[in-house]
Amino acid sequence: MGNLFSSKPKPKPSRVTPQDRAILELKKQRDTLRTYQRKIENDQEVLKRLAKQCLKDGNKNKAKLLLRKKKRQETLMTQTEQQIDNLEVMANDIEFAQLESNVFEGLKVGNESLKAMHKLMSYEDVEKIMEETQEGIEYQRELDELLAGSVTQEDEESILAELDDLVGDKEKIQNLPDAPTDELEQKTEARKEKKQERTLLEAS
Amino acid sequence: MGTTSNFRWPWQYDFPPFFTMQKNADTRFKQTEAWCSLILDYHNHHKLFRLRVTDVLASPLFYNKAIDRRLTKPDVIEILSILHKKGNIEWEDKEKTVCKVFWKTPAQWSDIIFKWVNQSGLNNTVCTLHEITNGPHSSDQEFYALDDQILMQAIQILQASGKAELMGTEGVKFFT
Repeated sequence: MGNLFSSKPKPKPSRVTPQDRAILELKKQRDTLRTYQRKIENDQEVLKRLAKQCLKDGNKNKAKLLLRKKKRQETLMTQTEQQIDNLEVMANDIEFAQLESNVFEGLKVGNESLKAMHKLMSYEDVEKIMEETQEGIEYQRELDELLAGSVTQEDEESILAELDDLVGDKEKIQNLPDAPTDELEQKTEARKEKKQERTLLEAS
Repeated sequence: MGTTSNFRWPWQYDFPPFFTMQKNADTRFKQTEAWCSLILDYHNHHKLFRLRVTDVLASPLFYNKAIDRRLTKPDVIEILSILHKKGNIEWEDKEKTVCKVFWKTPAQWSDIIFKWVNQSGLNNTVCTLHEITNGPHSSDQEFYALDDQILMQAIQILQASGKAELMGTEGVKFFT
Protein backbone atom coordinates (compact mmCIF):
# COMPACT_ATOMS: atom_id res chain seq x y z
CA MET A 1 0.00 0.00 0.00
CA GLY A 2 2.87 2.32 0.88
CA ASN A 3 4.37 1.65 -2.53
CA LEU A 4 1.51 3.48 -4.15
CA PHE A 5 2.62 6.75 -2.67
CA SER A 6 6.41 6.59 -2.62
CA SER A 7 7.95 7.29 -5.98
CA LYS A 8 11.09 5.15 -5.83
CA PRO A 9 11.00 1.38 -5.29
CA LYS A 10 11.82 0.28 -1.77
CA PRO A 11 15.01 -1.73 -1.37
CA LYS A 12 13.96 -3.32 1.90
CA PRO A 13 10.84 -5.41 2.41
CA SER A 14 8.06 -3.75 4.34
CA ARG A 15 8.37 -3.96 8.08
CA VAL A 16 4.64 -3.51 8.52
CA THR A 17 2.92 -6.69 9.65
CA PRO A 18 -0.74 -7.61 9.13
CA GLN A 19 -1.16 -7.07 12.89
CA ASP A 20 0.11 -3.51 12.43
CA ARG A 21 -2.61 -2.94 9.86
CA ALA A 22 -5.21 -4.25 12.27
CA ILE A 23 -3.90 -1.89 14.96
CA LEU A 24 -4.03 1.01 12.53
CA GLU A 25 -7.67 0.23 11.73
CA LEU A 26 -8.52 0.23 15.44
CA LYS A 27 -6.68 3.48 16.02
CA LYS A 28 -8.37 5.08 13.06
CA GLN A 29 -11.74 4.13 14.53
CA ARG A 30 -10.64 5.62 17.82
CA ASP A 31 -9.72 8.88 16.09
CA THR A 32 -13.14 8.98 14.48
CA LEU A 33 -14.80 8.52 17.85
CA ARG A 34 -12.65 11.24 19.35
CA THR A 35 -13.73 13.62 16.63
CA TYR A 36 -17.30 12.60 17.32
CA GLN A 37 -16.75 13.43 20.99
CA ARG A 38 -15.59 16.88 20.01
CA LYS A 39 -18.76 17.32 18.01
CA ILE A 40 -20.91 16.29 20.98
CA GLU A 41 -19.02 18.64 23.29
CA ASN A 42 -19.62 21.44 20.87
CA ASP A 43 -23.31 20.55 20.53
CA GLN A 44 -23.70 20.56 24.29
CA GLU A 45 -22.22 24.02 24.55
CA VAL A 46 -24.64 25.28 21.91
CA LEU A 47 -27.64 23.59 23.57
CA LYS A 48 -26.72 25.10 26.93
CA ARG A 49 -26.46 28.54 25.42
CA LEU A 50 -29.76 28.17 23.58
CA ALA A 51 -31.51 26.93 26.73
CA LYS A 52 -30.26 29.94 28.65
CA GLN A 53 -31.52 32.21 25.91
CA CYS A 54 -34.94 30.53 25.95
CA LEU A 55 -35.22 31.00 29.72
CA LYS A 56 -34.39 34.66 29.29
CA ASP A 57 -37.13 34.95 26.69
CA GLY A 58 -39.55 33.22 29.05
CA ASN A 59 -39.87 30.08 26.92
CA LYS A 60 -39.47 27.57 29.73
CA ASN A 61 -40.84 24.59 27.81
CA LYS A 62 -38.37 24.97 24.99
CA ALA A 63 -35.53 25.35 27.49
CA LYS A 64 -36.57 22.09 29.12
CA LEU A 65 -36.64 20.35 25.77
CA LEU A 66 -33.16 21.60 24.95
CA LEU A 67 -31.79 20.45 28.30
CA ARG A 68 -33.32 17.03 27.74
CA LYS A 69 -31.54 16.87 24.44
CA LYS A 70 -28.32 17.83 26.18
CA LYS A 71 -28.83 15.07 28.74
CA ARG A 72 -29.27 12.54 25.94
CA GLN A 73 -26.02 13.65 24.43
CA GLU A 74 -24.28 13.15 27.75
CA THR A 75 -25.16 9.46 27.75
CA LEU A 76 -23.95 9.33 24.17
CA MET A 77 -20.69 10.82 25.35
CA THR A 78 -20.11 8.16 28.01
CA GLN A 79 -20.97 5.45 25.49
CA THR A 80 -18.43 6.87 23.08
CA GLU A 81 -15.86 6.98 25.86
CA GLN A 82 -16.50 3.29 26.50
CA GLN A 83 -16.13 2.44 22.84
CA ILE A 84 -12.83 4.32 22.68
CA ASP A 85 -11.67 2.38 25.71
CA ASN A 86 -12.64 -0.92 24.05
CA LEU A 87 -10.73 -0.02 20.90
CA GLU A 88 -7.65 0.96 22.88
CA VAL A 89 -7.73 -2.23 24.94
CA MET A 90 -7.92 -4.24 21.73
CA ALA A 91 -5.06 -2.33 20.10
CA ASN A 92 -2.93 -2.68 23.23
CA ASP A 93 -3.64 -6.41 23.36
CA ILE A 94 -2.48 -6.88 19.78
CA GLU A 95 0.62 -4.77 20.41
CA PHE A 96 1.44 -6.80 23.50
CA ALA A 97 0.81 -10.12 21.77
CA GLN A 98 3.23 -9.01 19.06
CA LEU A 99 5.83 -8.23 21.70
CA GLU A 100 5.24 -11.58 23.32
CA SER A 101 5.72 -13.39 20.06
CA ASN A 102 9.02 -11.49 19.64
CA VAL A 103 10.08 -12.58 23.09
CA PHE A 104 9.14 -16.15 22.21
CA GLU A 105 11.22 -15.93 19.01
CA GLY A 106 14.15 -14.65 21.08
CA LEU A 107 13.84 -17.49 23.55
CA LYS A 108 13.67 -20.00 20.71
CA VAL A 109 16.89 -18.73 19.16
CA GLY A 110 18.57 -18.69 22.55
CA ASN A 111 17.44 -22.22 23.26
CA GLU A 112 18.74 -23.48 19.94
CA SER A 113 22.16 -21.91 20.41
CA LEU A 114 22.31 -23.36 23.91
CA LYS A 115 21.53 -26.78 22.47
CA ALA A 116 24.28 -26.38 19.87
CA MET A 117 26.72 -25.49 22.61
CA HIS A 118 25.73 -28.57 24.57
CA LYS A 119 26.36 -30.74 21.56
CA LEU A 120 29.98 -29.52 21.64
CA MET A 121 30.39 -30.71 25.23
CA SER A 122 29.08 -34.24 25.87
CA TYR A 123 28.32 -35.31 29.40
CA GLU A 124 30.87 -38.15 29.28
CA ASP A 125 33.64 -35.81 28.11
CA VAL A 126 32.97 -33.36 30.89
CA GLU A 127 32.86 -36.13 33.45
CA LYS A 128 36.15 -37.49 32.21
CA ILE A 129 37.79 -34.09 32.21
CA MET A 130 36.51 -33.32 35.70
CA GLU A 131 37.81 -36.67 36.97
CA GLU A 132 41.20 -36.04 35.44
CA THR A 133 41.27 -32.57 36.91
CA GLN A 134 40.44 -33.97 40.33
CA GLU A 135 43.29 -36.47 40.00
CA GLY A 136 45.62 -33.69 39.00
CA ILE A 137 44.63 -31.67 42.06
CA GLU A 138 45.23 -34.64 44.35
CA TYR A 139 48.63 -35.27 42.84
CA GLN A 140 49.58 -31.63 43.24
CA ARG A 141 48.63 -31.74 46.91
CA GLU A 142 50.82 -34.75 47.51
CA LEU A 143 53.70 -33.02 45.81
CA ASP A 144 53.18 -29.93 47.96
CA GLU A 145 53.31 -32.01 51.14
CA LEU A 146 56.51 -33.70 50.12
CA LEU A 147 58.21 -30.49 49.19
CA ALA A 148 57.18 -28.61 52.34
CA GLY A 149 58.82 -31.28 54.57
CA SER A 150 55.37 -32.20 55.69
CA VAL A 151 54.54 -30.63 59.02
CA THR A 152 52.57 -33.28 60.93
CA GLN A 153 50.16 -32.97 63.81
CA GLU A 154 52.88 -33.86 66.37
CA ASP A 155 55.24 -31.27 64.98
CA GLU A 156 52.50 -28.73 65.28
CA GLU A 157 52.02 -29.60 68.96
CA SER A 158 55.70 -29.27 69.83
CA ILE A 159 55.85 -25.96 68.06
CA LEU A 160 52.96 -24.70 70.16
CA ALA A 161 54.64 -25.93 73.37
CA GLU A 162 57.80 -24.08 72.50
CA LEU A 163 55.85 -20.96 71.89
CA ASP A 164 54.22 -21.31 75.33
CA ASP A 165 57.65 -21.65 76.97
CA LEU A 166 58.84 -18.52 75.31
CA VAL A 167 55.82 -16.61 76.51
CA GLY A 168 56.41 -18.01 80.10
CA ASP A 169 60.05 -16.88 80.10
CA LYS A 170 59.13 -13.42 79.14
CA GLU A 171 56.66 -13.24 82.02
CA LYS A 172 59.32 -14.51 84.47
CA ILE A 173 61.72 -11.80 83.41
CA GLN A 174 59.12 -9.19 83.97
CA ASN A 175 58.50 -10.46 87.57
CA LEU A 176 62.11 -9.98 88.74
CA PRO A 177 62.54 -7.55 91.72
CA ASP A 178 64.05 -4.11 91.09
CA ALA A 179 67.78 -3.86 91.40
CA PRO A 180 68.90 -2.16 94.70
CA THR A 181 70.37 1.32 94.15
CA ASP A 182 71.49 2.54 97.64
CA GLU A 183 74.42 0.22 98.08
CA LEU A 184 75.92 1.18 94.82
CA GLU A 185 75.82 4.84 95.70
CA GLN A 186 77.63 4.23 98.99
CA LYS A 187 80.31 2.33 97.18
CA THR A 188 80.93 5.09 94.70
CA GLU A 189 81.13 7.57 97.54
CA ALA A 190 83.73 5.42 99.26
CA ARG A 191 85.65 5.17 96.07
CA LYS A 192 85.60 8.92 95.69
CA GLU A 193 87.00 9.36 99.19
CA LYS A 194 89.78 6.87 98.50
CA LYS A 195 90.61 8.70 95.31
CA GLN A 196 90.81 11.99 97.16
CA GLU A 197 93.05 10.47 99.79
CA ARG A 198 95.32 9.11 97.07
CA THR A 199 95.64 12.45 95.36
CA LEU A 200 96.41 14.08 98.66
CA LEU A 201 99.09 11.50 99.36
CA GLU A 202 100.65 11.99 95.96
CA ALA A 203 100.64 15.74 96.36
CA SER A 204 102.46 15.65 99.71
CA MET B 1 -7.41 31.47 13.50
CA GLY B 2 -5.02 31.66 16.44
CA THR B 3 -5.16 33.89 19.45
CA THR B 4 -5.47 37.62 18.94
CA SER B 5 -1.97 38.73 19.01
CA ASN B 6 0.39 39.42 21.70
CA PHE B 7 2.57 39.05 18.66
CA ARG B 8 5.52 41.44 18.84
CA TRP B 9 5.69 43.42 15.66
CA PRO B 10 9.13 44.58 14.56
CA TRP B 11 9.81 48.31 14.80
CA GLN B 12 9.61 48.62 11.02
CA TYR B 13 5.93 47.73 11.15
CA ASP B 14 5.09 51.19 12.50
CA PHE B 15 7.46 52.88 10.06
CA PRO B 16 5.44 54.02 7.00
CA PRO B 17 8.27 53.72 4.40
CA PHE B 18 8.46 50.00 5.25
CA PHE B 19 5.25 49.55 3.25
CA THR B 20 6.67 51.18 0.11
CA MET B 21 9.31 49.33 -1.85
CA GLN B 22 12.55 51.27 -1.68
CA LYS B 23 14.54 52.25 -4.79
CA ASN B 24 18.03 52.00 -3.31
CA ALA B 25 19.19 48.39 -3.83
CA ASP B 26 20.85 48.13 -0.45
CA THR B 27 17.88 49.52 1.44
CA ARG B 28 15.51 47.41 -0.59
CA PHE B 29 17.45 44.25 0.29
CA LYS B 30 17.25 45.03 4.00
CA GLN B 31 13.57 45.83 3.59
CA THR B 32 12.69 42.56 1.83
CA GLU B 33 14.74 40.58 4.36
CA ALA B 34 12.79 42.20 7.19
CA TRP B 35 9.52 41.36 5.41
CA CYS B 36 10.62 37.75 4.95
CA SER B 37 11.36 37.25 8.62
CA LEU B 38 8.19 39.09 9.61
CA ILE B 39 6.09 36.76 7.46
CA LEU B 40 7.72 33.66 8.94
CA ASP B 41 7.51 34.96 12.53
CA TYR B 42 3.88 35.91 12.05
CA HIS B 43 2.94 32.48 10.73
CA ASN B 44 4.97 30.79 13.44
CA HIS B 45 3.32 32.82 16.18
CA HIS B 46 -0.18 32.11 14.93
CA LYS B 47 0.66 28.54 13.92
CA LEU B 48 -0.43 29.17 10.35
CA PHE B 49 0.84 26.86 7.66
CA ARG B 50 -0.92 28.17 4.59
CA LEU B 51 -1.14 31.59 2.99
CA ARG B 52 -3.75 32.72 0.50
CA VAL B 53 -2.55 35.87 -1.21
CA THR B 54 -5.97 37.53 -1.59
CA ASP B 55 -6.84 36.89 2.08
CA VAL B 56 -3.54 37.99 3.47
CA LEU B 57 -3.54 41.37 1.69
CA ALA B 58 -6.24 42.58 4.07
CA SER B 59 -4.79 40.87 7.16
CA PRO B 60 -2.81 42.83 9.78
CA LEU B 61 0.32 41.23 8.36
CA PHE B 62 0.31 43.43 5.26
CA TYR B 63 -2.09 46.11 6.37
CA ASN B 64 -1.24 48.30 9.35
CA LYS B 65 -4.49 50.01 10.22
CA ALA B 66 -2.91 52.28 12.83
CA ILE B 67 -0.71 54.07 10.32
CA ASP B 68 -2.98 53.27 7.37
CA ARG B 69 -0.32 51.65 5.25
CA ARG B 70 -0.58 48.48 3.19
CA LEU B 71 1.70 46.48 0.97
CA THR B 72 0.49 46.16 -2.62
CA LYS B 73 -0.14 42.79 -4.22
CA PRO B 74 2.87 42.92 -6.61
CA ASP B 75 5.12 43.72 -3.63
CA VAL B 76 3.68 40.81 -1.65
CA ILE B 77 4.27 38.51 -4.63
CA GLU B 78 7.84 39.78 -4.90
CA ILE B 79 8.59 39.06 -1.25
CA LEU B 80 6.91 35.66 -1.47
CA SER B 81 9.08 34.78 -4.45
CA ILE B 82 12.16 35.64 -2.36
CA LEU B 83 10.86 33.30 0.36
CA HIS B 84 10.26 30.70 -2.33
CA LYS B 85 13.91 30.93 -3.38
CA LYS B 86 14.95 30.49 0.25
CA GLY B 87 12.78 27.36 0.42
CA ASN B 88 10.46 28.77 3.04
CA ILE B 89 7.33 28.63 0.95
CA GLU B 90 5.95 26.27 -1.65
CA TRP B 91 3.29 27.31 -4.15
CA GLU B 92 0.33 24.97 -4.27
CA ASP B 93 -0.94 26.12 -7.65
CA LYS B 94 0.56 27.45 -10.86
CA GLU B 95 -1.33 30.73 -10.54
CA LYS B 96 0.46 31.41 -7.25
CA THR B 97 -2.60 32.15 -5.18
CA VAL B 98 -1.99 29.76 -2.26
CA CYS B 99 1.28 28.63 -0.72
CA LYS B 100 2.51 26.53 2.17
CA VAL B 101 4.62 28.45 4.65
CA PHE B 102 7.51 26.56 6.21
CA TRP B 103 8.62 28.50 9.27
CA LYS B 104 10.23 25.16 9.99
CA THR B 105 11.38 22.99 7.11
CA PRO B 106 9.90 19.48 6.77
CA ALA B 107 13.36 18.16 7.76
CA GLN B 108 13.25 20.15 10.98
CA TRP B 109 9.74 18.90 11.66
CA SER B 110 10.87 15.32 11.05
CA ASP B 111 13.62 15.75 13.67
CA ILE B 112 11.20 17.16 16.22
CA ILE B 113 8.66 14.41 15.61
CA PHE B 114 11.23 11.64 15.83
CA LYS B 115 12.59 13.06 19.08
CA TRP B 116 9.07 12.90 20.46
CA VAL B 117 8.72 9.31 19.20
CA ASN B 118 11.88 8.34 21.08
CA GLN B 119 10.91 10.20 24.22
CA SER B 120 7.48 8.63 24.40
CA GLY B 121 8.70 5.17 23.41
CA LEU B 122 6.60 4.98 20.26
CA ASN B 123 9.26 3.05 18.39
CA ASN B 124 7.78 -0.05 16.73
CA THR B 125 4.34 1.39 17.26
CA VAL B 126 1.64 2.16 14.77
CA CYS B 127 0.19 5.67 14.96
CA THR B 128 -2.48 7.40 12.96
CA LEU B 129 -1.35 10.64 11.40
CA HIS B 130 -4.34 12.25 13.04
CA GLU B 131 -3.21 11.32 16.54
CA ILE B 132 0.28 12.69 15.94
CA THR B 133 -0.97 16.19 15.29
CA ASN B 134 -4.29 16.12 17.12
CA GLY B 135 -4.05 13.40 19.75
CA PRO B 136 -4.01 13.90 23.51
CA HIS B 137 -0.40 12.68 23.70
CA SER B 138 0.98 15.50 21.62
CA SER B 139 -1.09 18.45 22.81
CA ASP B 140 1.98 20.02 24.43
CA GLN B 141 4.15 19.47 21.36
CA GLU B 142 5.25 22.05 18.85
CA PHE B 143 3.82 20.01 15.99
CA TYR B 144 0.34 19.91 17.52
CA ALA B 145 -2.15 20.93 14.80
CA LEU B 146 0.61 20.78 12.19
CA ASP B 147 -0.61 20.93 8.62
CA ASP B 148 -1.38 17.46 7.20
CA GLN B 149 0.69 17.91 4.07
CA ILE B 150 3.72 19.20 5.95
CA LEU B 151 3.38 16.28 8.37
CA MET B 152 3.31 13.92 5.39
CA GLN B 153 6.48 15.49 3.99
CA ALA B 154 8.23 15.20 7.36
CA ILE B 155 7.27 11.53 7.67
CA GLN B 156 8.43 10.83 4.13
CA ILE B 157 11.83 12.14 5.23
CA LEU B 158 11.78 9.74 8.19
CA GLN B 159 10.73 6.96 5.83
CA ALA B 160 13.66 7.66 3.52
CA SER B 161 16.07 7.18 6.43
CA GLY B 162 14.29 4.01 7.58
CA LYS B 163 12.97 5.53 10.80
CA ALA B 164 9.36 5.17 9.79
CA GLU B 165 7.14 3.48 7.29
CA LEU B 166 3.95 4.99 5.99
CA MET B 167 0.87 2.80 5.98
CA GLY B 168 -1.24 4.34 3.28
CA THR B 169 -2.10 7.97 3.86
CA GLU B 170 -3.50 7.69 7.34
CA GLY B 171 -1.00 5.73 9.39
CA VAL B 172 2.66 5.31 10.10
CA LYS B 173 4.82 2.82 11.94
CA PHE B 174 7.87 4.21 13.70
CA PHE B 175 11.11 2.33 14.16
CA THR B 176 14.35 3.06 15.97
